[in-house]
Amino acid sequence: MIHLAVAIAFLPYNTLVVAAGVAAVGCAAGVIGTFGVLRKRALVGDAAAHATLVGVACALLLTGQRDLAVLLVGGLLSAMVAIVLLVLIRKFTRTRDDAATAIVLSVSFGLGITLISGMVSRGIPGSGGLERFLLGHTASLTATDALLLGTVSVVGVLCIVVGLKEATMVAFDPDFAAAAGWPAATLDLVLIALIAVMVVVGLPAAGAVLVTALVVIPPAVARQWTERLVPMLVIAGAVGLLSALGGVVLSSLAVQVPTGPVVVLVATAFLILSILVAPCRGILWRTRSVSGLSSVSLTKTEVGAATPRVMERKL
Amino acid sequence: MAGNNSAREVHVAHPMLEWHDLTVAYGRRPVLWNVDFEIQDPCLFGIIGPNGAGKSTLLKASLDLVRRAGGTVRFWGQQLAEVRSKIAYVPQRETVDWDFPVSVMDVVRMGATSRLGWFQRGGKRERELARASLDHVGLADFANRQIGKLSGGQQQRVFLARALAREAEIYLLDEPMAGVDAGSQEQIFNILAELRDQGKLVIAVHHDIRTAAEWFDAVALVDMRLVAAGPTAEVLTPENLTMTYSGRLSILDEIGEAVERGGRTP
Amino acid sequence: MPRIVNVVLVLSLVGAAWNNSKAASPVRVIATTTVVADLVEQVGGDLVAVESLMADGVDPHSYRATPRDIDRLIRADLIVANGLHLEGKLAELLERIGRKRPFVAVGNAVPKDELLSIGNDLFDPHIWFDAKLWSYCPSTVADALSQLDSKAALHYRQRAEKYSKDLLELDKNVRRKFKKIPQQRRVLITAHDAFRYFGRAYGLEVIGVQGTSTESEAGLADMNQLVELVVQREIPAVFVETSVSDRNVTALIEGAAARGHSVRLGGRLYSDALGPAGGGGDTLEGALLSNVDTIIGALRATSTSQRIVE
Repeated sequence: MIHLAVAIAFLPYNTLVVAAGVAAVGCAAGVIGTFGVLRKRALVGDAAAHATLVGVACALLLTGQRDLAVLLVGGLLSAMVAIVLLVLIRKFTRTRDDAATAIVLSVSFGLGITLISGMVSRGIPGSGGLERFLLGHTASLTATDALLLGTVSVVGVLCIVVGLKEATMVAFDPDFAAAAGWPAATLDLVLIALIAVMVVVGLPAAGAVLVTALVVIPPAVARQWTERLVPMLVIAGAVGLLSALGGVVLSSLAVQVPTGPVVVLVATAFLILSILVAPCRGILWRTRSVSGLSSVSLTKTEVGAATPRVMERKL
Repeated sequence: MAGNNSAREVHVAHPMLEWHDLTVAYGRRPVLWNVDFEIQDPCLFGIIGPNGAGKSTLLKASLDLVRRAGGTVRFWGQQLAEVRSKIAYVPQRETVDWDFPVSVMDVVRMGATSRLGWFQRGGKRERELARASLDHVGLADFANRQIGKLSGGQQQRVFLARALAREAEIYLLDEPMAGVDAGSQEQIFNILAELRDQGKLVIAVHHDIRTAAEWFDAVALVDMRLVAAGPTAEVLTPENLTMTYSGRLSILDEIGEAVERGGRTP
Repeated sequence: MPRIVNVVLVLSLVGAAWNNSKAASPVRVIATTTVVADLVEQVGGDLVAVESLMADGVDPHSYRATPRDIDRLIRADLIVANGLHLEGKLAELLERIGRKRPFVAVGNAVPKDELLSIGNDLFDPHIWFDAKLWSYCPSTVADALSQLDSKAALHYRQRAEKYSKDLLELDKNVRRKFKKIPQQRRVLITAHDAFRYFGRAYGLEVIGVQGTSTESEAGLADMNQLVELVVQREIPAVFVETSVSDRNVTALIEGAAARGHSVRLGGRLYSDALGPAGGGGDTLEGALLSNVDTIIGALRATSTSQRIVE
């Protein structure tokens, strides 16, 4: 433990920059991701991430520059278009959420790859390996990148803090909120868009798949430890932050260890630990309670019967 | 119209709720066809019909939750937007995720804070209102429990308490008795009747004709269109029921039996 | 599907035969990269028409073939690749087409004991910036062209010999230029390991931020080590490449700056691809000289009080 503290105090500059950037993303992704997970929209971020390729390719085509800021703006725009399409598909074709997400993800990814291949075969400068935008480059984050990541993360978390009442109401029961006069559909779109922005901005820090993991795993960990929303948000943010810091420090201890994946592995370790030992929901706790207290196991059966997990909305 | 008569002076000229030629379609498939009806005074009103008859859709269309293909809905002669704060909606229980990390109290407080403006969290007043509503449905002891750890009847009562916390004048409830045992059902009906006695209009989608005859002052029989509507005794006739449930013969006997007994359940 | 391919093959073979009967029409060659294309052009001169599969500024490690590329490959009279697994994603396709069409991998001309091993019987493929190693290659191209166009065999051989001689001359020239740089300054840090032969030939220590292939990701520890090295040895400049993203190098410069050591972006080096036609870097000789001048210019500058430019 002391060893770790000393290690953090004397971190090299690059480690600090990367740690700051990734920690900001981890924390904000955990907080915002909580609503994604609660709305069963865990993969919205993934769809947004893959949709960035189209925008990235177009940005390069239009400006001729392979500059991170330019590519990010392009990516963000196409991710937003994809999110709007996702909502429209759901609304007008009555396709289920997961299917609509899968459609948008695969179609936009396919389109992006096709565009990039076309650009490469036509010899457009800078187009080679453009699809690697999705992989991220954690270890080579610069101070500017970290600042951008930090700013977006703070703004994202602030949005949730300010609109907590609205977000909770819409996430829990959109019909009730809408009937009470709240613009439920718009608020829902804002929540999805927040996740999308977080993921797209987090792309350079961790890459598409890993940033999706950061949106999903910390909330899953938090849910194991609490039955209330605000604690869940706090724990998810903390787990995201600690995973990021732990991963960055761990990966800086050995050569040839890519940073992004280690961050996700640390988050996964948190998840496994929580599934095992968390109170109420942890496996160890449950085994003990069933063998120990018969009254508790009785409540458990009742709970099972009283909890219909119906995800589709009936008309 | 049956029911207690504590008329609201302000809106005395208009019926509390009126539907004019209300039509709803999903894609090209019509779900509700030209529903035309009005409810003049406070009462306990049942919307009854077979599965897929468009009962829930009727409520949702009234609240702009689904798009109307045609027709209008008026509350006290006004558009919904102007009177939203006086209306409370209880959705079907299955529409929410009961594993959501909120306590019973959290949910009921949503009813109270849903009346506040943007970004206002509410304070003491909202807390007290929520506490009182919870008391009202007899769940004060469960305030801190996670909502998934309740029985079906208790969950319905939580939803009802959330609606009560809106302090509304009109209550629209979608299947409030679904998955509820007989004891809880009686308890819920009592609360609804109490609301009616306080001069509120309570409209509930319901599928059990026996209890409907017992509790509702007036009913509407719906099967994609309005088959009949009016005081319960006049509407729940064998002819009307046959028309509503035509093609669903299996339950006709049961219905006949119920009506013969004059709506009295044992 | 194979049948269609066969039909196309037969048709193109007929086409090729017909082409050869006409003395005036050039041999159509597809080279995988611009570097290889330059080699073929130097050997073939006016008698060949060379096209490069990958345009300038494209990273060959991650290049994937499109159907149009396959079509171009099948229609060519001769396919020339670098080999040694440079064309990572293309290798399998080249091998398959190479069984049916005249195919040369110029890298195979270099004696194995002069290649740098990267383990598992694999060798570093970036041979072209060692002019001496590259001088082994023209004769293979000449042989392949002579087989297709035997009447001009002498022409090809003479040109190949001349070009090999030029390359050896260039080699000497570059060596002389580097003598001016003090030994401890001769460190070349770039985005990926494309310059190991170059470094070996001209006495530079070469360190890539990424691995030999652009596909691997640098870890944080690697980055910290590099920063340490740059600071300790007071290295004045690091370089980026035309076909590889320069993010890693930017992070490196920033890390060194935080330690109070200002290291410059020395400029862009040609690595896996040559420059656009008409520019100074559109031939191997031009690109090599340009690299040498860039490196020497940057490394000769005093290490302190340099501002980070570009």
